[in-house]
Formats: sequence, structure tokens, C-alpha cells
Amino acid sequence: MAYTTFNQNNFDATKEPMFFGQNVNVARYDVQKFSIFEQLIEKQLSFFWRPEEVDLSNDRSDFAKLPEHEQHIFLSNLKYQTLLDSIQGRSPNVALLPIVSLPELETWIETWAFSETIHSRSYTHIMRNVLTDPSKVFDDIISNDAIVSRATAITRHYDALIEGVQLYSTFGEGEHTINGETITVSRRDLKKKLYLTLVSVNVLEAIRFYVSFACSFAFAERATMEGNAKIIKLIARDEALHLTGTQHMLQLMASGRDDPEMAEIATELKDEARQIFIDAAEQEKEWAAYLFRDGSMIGLNKEILADYVEYITTQRMLAVGFESPFENKQNPLPWMSSWLNSDNVQVAPQEVEVSSYLVGQVDSDVDTDDFNDFSL
Amino acid sequence: MANIVKIQDGYSFLPRAEATLLEALESENIAMEYQCRQGYCGCCQIKLIDGDVEYQEEPLAFVQEGHILPCCCKANSDVTVALPQPLTELQQRKASA
Repeated sequence: MAYTTFNQNNFDATKEPMFFGQNVNVARYDVQKFSIFEQLIEKQLSFFWRPEEVDLSNDRSDFAKLPEHEQHIFLSNLKYQTLLDSIQGRSPNVALLPIVSLPELETWIETWAFSETIHSRSYTHIMRNVLTDPSKVFDDIISNDAIVSRATAITRHYDALIEGVQLYSTFGEGEHTINGETITVSRRDLKKKLYLTLVSVNVLEAIRFYVSFACSFAFAERATMEGNAKIIKLIARDEALHLTGTQHMLQLMASGRDDPEMAEIATELKDEARQIFIDAAEQEKEWAAYLFRDGSMIGLNKEILADYVEYITTQRMLAVGFESPFENKQNPLPWMSSWLNSDNVQVAPQEVEVSSYLVGQVDSDVDTDDFNDFSL
Repeated sequence: MANIVKIQDGYSFLPRAEATLLEALESENIAMEYQCRQGYCGCCQIKLIDGDVEYQEEPLAFVQEGHILPCCCKANSDVTVALPQPLTELQQRKASA
């Protein structure tokens, strides 16, 4: 099944499954199988923002005033965020576009990944403002063991899916001998890889990002690095939407409404999927230990962040119908909600941007009465 | 006529007519989880035990069967909801915050 960029078969795209059906041909949205994806696209477009809109001039002096161990926390957290968005700006496109079969979902994936590239550009914007030489920090991302081990866990499922799909497009289903090795390519196996990939993306968006947001907002709670927090607020608004997109995909799969085989797979892989959540929680706790290795900061330390990891993991697991291994307790960081609240995202002092304000607000109805008090 | 909001562990109140269910719960000093307050993140999701709610606009978030998003709905009849944690804890936290 080689990929084709414009499938010349004549077929009804609304009868295709989300993934592993026909390749998409016409990018049309007049008829849709799942209109939720177009609604997500419209919401994402209404969120559009640019990092340069946020003034970071105070952050530079704030950063210089931070004690060394807090600079370590701030920069390590930023490195981790950079890693997450480097992955998310690329991988949904590379992994999912070759196998997607619905035009509205294809465009959602592209819109989603595009907004992640804005996040990546934000991190450069922040580093440039805070440091004289940001390259040292960026260079460290691929040589720092604590970060590299995160990267391996996050990309494992993506990479397995991408490799499998490449073999599938080149050789098709069946047994193949490649470089002396026998490899079995089966569509069902690829669907399993897809399911696990989406679960791990869900974990990335729902848990890993939120742990990093907690660190960013902990600084702003103390009225320092506030420009950075404003950018993270915009990123958090986007991530909440991406998370919703991924939850919809997973849910459509599990319900069998889209592809009955996917529903079987969701049941079959339930334990494995659950384990992805639990492993991520453990990794995030290890990360908390690394962040606070030289000392904690006012309002946040290793234990509180680890509590937050357990709390957020439980919430996310319950939201998709998994049982959590952790106790269902209260949010140990109650101030997170007000920082995450995107109702009042403000990019410039004179401009309070309410996102719902941006969609369909132009009144284009002109009546002849409108010209009554108008004379030539 | 105003609709009564009941919380499963034994507490009920009459919300103000213009308030969303989330605002109504918050005005009773209950520490609710929230993020977007516009129906796309799904953070405030709670279980609807009994009754009907009305959404002004269909929310984008994925909502589990039997759950509602209080940030963008209002009670359409008397409703009973279950909160994620015991009420007393959620009220205490609000008081201490």
C-alpha cells in the first residue's frame, strides 16, 4: 500500500475509518464523518498568537536575580518543554499523515502540529531574552542524560509506528526478508502501534506538559518570570485543545463507532495503555527529583511536585476510564487553575483577548434601512 | 422557576439564574477544578446523577457517558451531581485558600 498524495480512486471519504483506510484525496469539508475535528480546527485558529506579542523585558532581570538552584530549575524545565514541543511539532505529521483517511482529521493533525511549532519558537524567544548565549542551553538538550532518557520514553511508540508504516507502504502486508531478517507486516499490528502511540501522546499532553506548566507557574506565583508565565499560559490553552483532540480519537476508537477492529484492540491493550500512564507518572517523579536536586523553591519542592504528578495522573486516567493506582486526592497546587484559566489570556496590557470573541463576530448583514440617515 | 442543585453527599442550594453550573457551585464555596471555562478542556467534568442540564453551545471536550461540563451548562430541572472529592474537603480548601 504505497502512499499517494492524491488518491485517484473514487470513494466516499465519510465511509472510511479515521486511520488505515484509503489515502485522502480532495481536502473537502462540506461532508464530514466527524465534525468535531473541524470544530477543533476553528477553535485552534481562533487561538492564534505569536510569542513576540509577549513582553519579556522584565524576565531578564528577574532571571539574573534568581539563586543558582532556581536558575537550574527554570532552565531545565524550559529544556524539557523544548524537547516536548520539538517532538510534537513534527511527529503527528510524520506518523499520522501517511495513514489518515478523513480530510477533516488530516487538517486537524496539520493544524495541531503547526501550533506546536509556535510553541517551539516561543522557547527560543524566551531563551534569547533571558540569556546572553542561549545556544549552550539548547545544545545541552541532547547531551543531558535526564532529558535524553525522557525523550526515549516519549518517542518509543511514535518511532515504532513510523517504522512499521514505512515497511507497510513499501512492502505491504505479509512476511518479508529485509537485510537477512524476516519481518511480518500486518495491518492489525500497525493498528495496535497506532493505539499505543495515541495513548502515549495523550499522556504527553495530559500529564508531562502539566508538570512542566506547574514549574513555570510556580515562579510566576512568586511574581517572578511573569512574561514566561504569560507565554506558558498561551501554550497551556493550546495544549488543552490538543488533549481534547487526542481524547476524541481514542474514544472514537474504543467505542467501535469508527473501526470495530480498533475497539477490539483498545480492549486487548487496556493494561498496556494503563501502564503507559503509570510509567509516565514514575518518570515525571524522577524528573522532579532532578529539578530540585540542588534545592527547592518557595512554593514548590520535589514532594509537592510528585504529589501533583499523582493527582494529575489520576484525573487523566479517570477521564479516559482507567483506574488509577494513586489515591484520588485533592489538587496539591490549587493555584494552578487560575494560571491555567484561559478565559482571560492577556497578551498585551491594552488587549484582553477572549478567545470566543474572535470567531464569527463580523456582522455582514446590510439592510436598506442602514442607509436611511445617509445622503449624497 | 429556579431549579435546585443537589450534591450527592447531602447539600442543596438554589443557583442564581444567570450563573453557569460551575459558577453556581463556586459561589457555594466549593473548590472546583477548571481550566478553560469554555467547554474545550474537560477539566471541570462531574457526574450527573439525576436531572437535565442545558448547554448554550455544545462543548468541544470529550465528556464521558453520564458526565457533564458544568462550565458551560445550566440546570434544566432539579439536578443531582456527584463531586470528585467529598464536599467537606472541597469546601474546607476554598475556605483556607
